[in-house]
Amino acid sequence: MSILDQHTLSQISDLSEACARYWELRGIAGKSRKEMQIELEQHLIQAAMDGKSLETVVGPNPAAFAEAWAREMRPHVSRSSVLLLPGLAYALNVVSTTTLVQHLFAPTSSFTLTLFAAYLLVSSGLGTLLLPLAGFLAGRIKTRTGRSVLLGTILVLGTLVARSAGMRINWSIALLSWSWPLTFLLVSLAAVLACLECWRRTSQERTLSGQHVRLGRSVMTFAGSVAVFDLILGISSLAVFNACTLACRVF
Amino acid sequence: MEARLTQLLKGTLDMCLLATIAQRPCYGYEMVQRLAQQGLSLVSEGSIYPLLSRLQQRGYIEGYLVPSTDGPARKYYRLLSKGDEQLAQWQAEWESFAQAVSQILKGARSDVDPRSAHPQPDLRP
Repeated sequence: MSILDQHTLSQISDLSEACARYWELRGIAGKSRKEMQIELEQHLIQAAMDGKSLETVVGPNPAAFAEAWAREMRPHVSRSSVLLLPGLAYALNVVSTTTLVQHLFAPTSSFTLTLFAAYLLVSSGLGTLLLPLAGFLAGRIKTRTGRSVLLGTILVLGTLVARSAGMRINWSIALLSWSWPLTFLLVSLAAVLACLECWRRTSQERTLSGQHVRLGRSVMTFAGSVAVFDLILGISSLAVFNACTLACRVF
Repeated sequence: MEARLTQLLKGTLDMCLLATIAQRPCYGYEMVQRLAQQGLSLVSEGSIYPLLSRLQQRGYIEGYLVPSTDGPARKYYRLLSKGDEQLAQWQAEWESFAQAVSQILKGARSDVDPRSAHPQPDLRP
């Protein structure tokens, strides 16, 4: 039996995280999911200490292994739909705060949600949800960098193929447009969803700290994430549209 | 050869797991080690977990967490009375099945002369 290096431990952690996310998407109850993840992680650690590969435990197809286990755990679709709440809460808060800032500081009476902003919101939401599944490749591509490079390459190649097939997208096209009264409604709805999400996080967190501390931490994390995303959205929108304008002038 | 053994194991692994747990409560990795000691090496060790979950859902075994000094709590499994009854039934079924297969295989080795293995035409009117 040997002591494991950091590299192997991170491989094990990524694989067990991928399985846990898969089980979450399949609708396995939180308590069972946590137990399954711990059980798998402990088995993987012990097997690795005995010199066995990850494949010895989960087989050549870790996704098939995760699915086989999920099938025996009575999954329920309604449980996986709970994942919609954080996505909706973040998206609505980002949109409503951006709108609010624009109403306050820009001389416009209405706000427009562009295709680019919607794409950024949806793709980052899906990315957060599905990226941990890349851990299924931990047995074949051992480093996180390697897996990130593979995913990036797939994305770039996909974009190039779409471009060469004649696909053109006007990112600045307006998807939705609204004025003050609707912004108020959006801000109120976003606040309600944010409260629900923070409450959900606080109730799921299993730490020794008090409920007020946990709630405060959840609120701070949520507000921080929304603020960071607002900045990313604003900066990248400006960068993309300025680059497009510049490209149009040059060519 | 290996594929045949894998198929045989697939059909009997739940029974072997139940028998292993019947000897004494144990956790997943320990079960794999005990099976290997008895000569059953699994191609994919993790394949025991879906089966353990099935046995648990059917009320044959139950899982319980035991606190560990060097990490998170470890999940052990123990046999329940329903599982004990099921194991007795499976053992009886297996013994009868294995005996039948064994007799067929023994018969094939002792009765058949490979030189006269071709079927003879029935010449009776």
